[in-house]
Amino acid sequence: MTTMTPDAPEEPTNRPAPMHRVREWMSRPYARSIMILTVVIGFILLPLCWLILAAMNQSGAPASPIMEDIQTTIFVFTLISIPITAFVFAVLVYSLLGWKHVSGDEVPADASPAIRGNFVANILWSVITSLLAMFLVVWGLMELAQITANSYGTVSADEQPGGSSALIVNVTGQQWVWTFEYPQHDGLTSDILYLPKDRAVYFNVTSKDVLHNFWAVELGVKIDANPGAITQTGVTPNKAGTFNVRCAELCGLHHAYMQTEIRVLEKDAFDSWVRENGGQRTS
Amino acid sequence: MTTTTTAPPNATVFGAEVPQPPQHGKPGGIMRHLNFGTGLLAGIVGAVAAGWITAALTPTSASNATFAPTEPEYVYLAVLIGWVVGFMLGMGAFVGPVRWLLGRDITHADAEYMAGKDLGFRRYFKFTTDHKVVGIQYLVVTLVIFALGGTLAMLIRTELGVTWAELFAPTFYNTIIGTHGIAMVIAMIVVISGPVGNFIVPMMIGARDMAFPRLNALSLWLLVAAVVCLISSMFVGGIQDGWSVYYPLAAQAPPGMLGYQMTIIVFAISTGVASVNLMTTILTMRAKGMTWSRTPILVFGVFAASLMGLYAFPFYQYSQILALTDRIWDTVFFNPVQGGSVWLYENLFWLLGHPEVYVILIPSMALALEIMPVFLRRPLFSFNFAVAGIIGVVALSGLVWAHHMYMTGWAPAVNYPFMLSTEMISIPVGFLVLVAIGTFWRSTVWTRLPLMAIYAVVFNKMIGGVTGIYLSDVPADQYFHGSMFVVAHFHYMLMGAGLFGAMGGIAFYFPKMTGRILDERWGSIGLWTAFVGFQITFGSMFVAGLQGQPRRVLQFDDMFNISNWLSTIGAYVIGLGMLIFLAAIIFSWRSGDVASSNPWGSKSLEWQTATPVPLENFEVLPVVTERPYNYGVPDPYEQRMKSLDGDLGPDTRLESDDKAGVP
Ligand code: HEM
Ligand SMILES: [Cu+2]
Ligand SMILES: [Cu+2]
Repeated sequence: MTTMTPDAPEEPTNRPAPMHRVREWMSRPYARSIMILTVVIGFILLPLCWLILAAMNQSGAPASPIMEDIQTTIFVFTLISIPITAFVFAVLVYSLLGWKHVSGDEVPADASPAIRGNFVANILWSVITSLLAMFLVVWGLMELAQITANSYGTVSADEQPGGSSALIVNVTGQQWVWTFEYPQHDGLTSDILYLPKDRAVYFNVTSKDVLHNFWAVELGVKIDANPGAITQTGVTPNKAGTFNVRCAELCGLHHAYMQTEIRVLEKDAFDSWVRENGGQRTS
Repeated sequence: MTTTTTAPPNATVFGAEVPQPPQHGKPGGIMRHLNFGTGLLAGIVGAVAAGWITAALTPTSASNATFAPTEPEYVYLAVLIGWVVGFMLGMGAFVGPVRWLLGRDITHADAEYMAGKDLGFRRYFKFTTDHKVVGIQYLVVTLVIFALGGTLAMLIRTELGVTWAELFAPTFYNTIIGTHGIAMVIAMIVVISGPVGNFIVPMMIGARDMAFPRLNALSLWLLVAAVVCLISSMFVGGIQDGWSVYYPLAAQAPPGMLGYQMTIIVFAISTGVASVNLMTTILTMRAKGMTWSRTPILVFGVFAASLMGLYAFPFYQYSQILALTDRIWDTVFFNPVQGGSVWLYENLFWLLGHPEVYVILIPSMALALEIMPVFLRRPLFSFNFAVAGIIGVVALSGLVWAHHMYMTGWAPAVNYPFMLSTEMISIPVGFLVLVAIGTFWRSTVWTRLPLMAIYAVVFNKMIGGVTGIYLSDVPADQYFHGSMFVVAHFHYMLMGAGLFGAMGGIAFYFPKMTGRILDERWGSIGLWTAFVGFQITFGSMFVAGLQGQPRRVLQFDDMFNISNWLSTIGAYVIGLGMLIFLAAIIFSWRSGDVASSNPWGSKSLEWQTATPVPLENFEVLPVVTERPYNYGVPDPYEQRMKSLDGDLGPDTRLESDDKAGVP
C-alpha cells in the first residue's frame, strides 16, 4: 500500500496514529472547502456584532452601567454564536453546492456512505457545545449578579443601599399613564421621569389596575408593575439626556401610547427642578 | 331504532373466528344517522336552548363585584357549553358509552361501520374511527385554522405597515393579535401529531389502527368544537389580551374571554385524549421485532410531544377553569385586589407555555430527521444521539417555564436557576442539529421538495436558537422582554422551524395520504416564496425589537417605521407563498399525478402498504428485522483507513443490524 495523500508522512506507521488520521481528514477536499466556507461565512456574519448594537443605540446610546453590561453581554453572545452558526450554514451550503445531487422522479441508488455515528465527531460536538453553553451560563450568572447588585433593592426604601444618598422614585402604572412620585421630596409627582445623573435611583414599582411593565429603554431597566404588589429595581444613570419609558406589557386599549420621557439632569439642574416644582427637601 | 335481535354468527376477523355479541339493528345502529350535519344541528339547538334558558333564569341585576359579569356573560357561557355538548351529542360521541351502559356490546360489523367501511366520501363527515380518516380530518381542520390565523396575521401586519394611520380600532387590533396567537398555537400543536401522528404513525409501527379508535375520533371532533368556540369569541368582543390573557386584564375583557377559556378547556381535553391514545399505541402496538432501536425517530418525536402535552396541558386547563370561575362566580384565584395572585396565573400559564413550544418543535425536528435518510439515501447519523436529544429536551422542558417571568419581579432569586436550566436545553437541541448536519455530511442529495424544506428548517432553527440564547440570558432579556425581538424569535422557532418542517412533512406523506404526488414545481415555488418573505418579515422584526419597539402595539415612534414597512412587505410575500402552497395542495389532491405506493423508495413500514391504504393497513402484520434507514453503501474512506490502520478507532459500521437487539 502506498501513501494515501500527497502530504502524508513518509512512514505513517511511525507516527501516532490519531495524528495521521487528522491529517488525512484535513486533506479531504470537502473538509478543506467546509473549513474555508465556515471562515468566510463567519466573517460575513461578524459585522452583526456591531450592527446589533447599532440598532439598539438608535434611540440613544446606553445611559447607565446596566445598559452597558447588557450590551456587552449581547455582543459577547453574538460573537460566541457565530462560529457554530457559520459551521452549520457552511455544511448546508456545501451540501447544496459541493456534494453530489440527483433530481427527477426515479428513486436514486443508495450512493451516500452509510455512516452510523462517528465517535470522534459526537464527542467533539458534545464537548464544544457543552463548553459554549457553560460559558454562556457562567457569563450570564455573573452579569446577572452584577446587575442585581446595581439595581434590585431587597430592603425597604429607607434602608436601601446608598441610604439617604439614593433617590427613591415610586413608579405607578395605570391605564395608560405613568406617574412618578418622589417621596424624599414631599411627594412631588410628575408624569415625566426626572433623574439626577450619577446618583443611585431606586424604583418602587406598582400598578393601580392591570399589569404594566416599566421599561426605561436606554437605562436598561425593566420590571413589571403589579397591582397589589411592589416590585423593586434601580439604576444609576451616567449620561444626561432625554430617554424613553415604554410600557412593555399589554395593558389594554392604549398600551401603545403608554410611554413617556426620562430626563436625566445634572445634579444642579435636578435640584432646581425639584425646587421649582414644590419639592422641599433636597439631598 | 329497530330492536330485532338476531342470533349472531361468528365473524371472521383476519382469519380468526370470533364469537359475536347480538347485533342490534343494522350494523352501526344509530351511528348510521349521525354525521357532521346532525352534529351542527344539535350543537346549534343546544346552544340556543341553553342560552335561552339561562337568559330566562338569570335575574337582570345578577352581580355586584368589581369586574361584574353582566347577564350576557352567563348566557354566552351557557351557549358555549350547549354548543359543545350538543355538537358532540349530535356527532354520536356518546353513543358508545350509552350502548355500553345498556349492556350492548359492539359487533364486528358495527366496528367496521364505525371505521367507515364502504362509506366512501361520507366517512370524512362522521364520527369515524379509522385512524387514516382521522388523519385526513385533522389535516383539513389544521389547514382551516391556519387560513384563519394567516388572514389575521395579514391584518396585523397591514395595520403595522400603515404607520401613518390607525386602520383598526384598538379593540379590534388587540382582538386579532390574541386570536391570531392562539389560533396559530393550536394549529401548530396539532399540525404534525394530528395528521401525521394519526395517519402515519400506526402504519409506521406496523399496527392496524390506534389503540383507542373511538377516542381518536373524539379528540378530533373536540378540536372542531373548540375551534368553533374560538371563532365565536370574535363576535362577542374578542380576545383582547394576547394569547397569554394575563390577569387582571383578562377580567376587564368583554365576554369574548369566555370563548377563549372554553376553547382551551375543550382543546386540553382533546389533546389529553389524543396524547394518551398516541402513547398507548406507540408503547403497546409496535410490530413484532420493532425494538426501540428499530423504531423510527418520528415515533419518538410524536411520543415525546404527547408526553409533554400530557404534562403541560392540565396546567393550562386549570388556569383557564380558575379564571373562568373568577369571572363568573367571583372566586378569587387571580385577582390581586381581593387577595388573589397574578403570579399564580403566570406560573400556571407558562407551565404550559414552555413545554408547549417543544410540543410544537420536537415533532417537526423528528420529522426532519425522518425525511432526511430517505432523500439522502443513508442512515441517520447517530440515531442514539437523536434519541438522546429528544429525551434531553423532554426532561428539561418542564424545568424552564419561569424564564418567561424574569422581568415580573415575582422572585428575582429564581432567575439564576432558571437561566441555568434554560441554557442547558441548547445541549440536547444541539444533538439534534448534529444529527441533521451529520446526515447531510457527504450525502448525495435527492433534491425533492420534502428534503429541500429541511434546509429551510435547519437554517431557521439556527437563527431561532441563537436568538433564544439571548432571551434565556436574564441581562439580555432585560432589554428584549416584551419587545418585537421576542416575537421575531418565536416566529423563527414556531413558524420557521415548526411550520416549514410541517410543510416538508405534508409534501413527504402526501402520496400516502392522498394517493397523489404534491406538485413539486408549485409546491417549491410556494415554499421558497414563503421562505424569502419569512426572512424579510422576521429579520426586520428583529431590528424593530433591537430598536426598542414593544410588542402588541398598533402605533409607534417614527423611528420604527422602516423596519415595520419592510416587515409588512415580507408578510405579503409569505401570504402569497402560502397561498401558492395551499393551491398546490388542493390541486394536487384533486388531480395531481397518481403516486405509486412507495414513490420515495422508503424502507419504512408505512410505505410498504398499498395506496390507497386498505382499511386494515396490513393484510399480514409485518415483522421487523432491521434498524430503520438501512440505506447507503459502506464508506470508502473508512474502509481505506481501516486497511491502513488496522483497528484504529471505533468502527463506524459496528452498530450493524445483527447486533441491534433481538425482537
Ligand atoms: C404569515 C405568517 C405570520 C405573520 C406575518 C405573523 C405575524 C405576527 C405579528 C405581527 C404578531 C404580533 C406581534 C406583536 O405585536 O406582539 C404575531 C403574533 C403571534 N404569532 Fe404570528 N405571524 C405569522 C405566523 C404565525 C405562526 C405560523 C405562528 C405559529 C405558532 C404564529 C404565532 C404567533 C403567536 C403565538 C403570536 C403572539 C400573539 C400574542 O402576542 O399574544 N404566527 N404574529
Ligand atoms: Cu401597557
Ligand atoms: Cu419558554
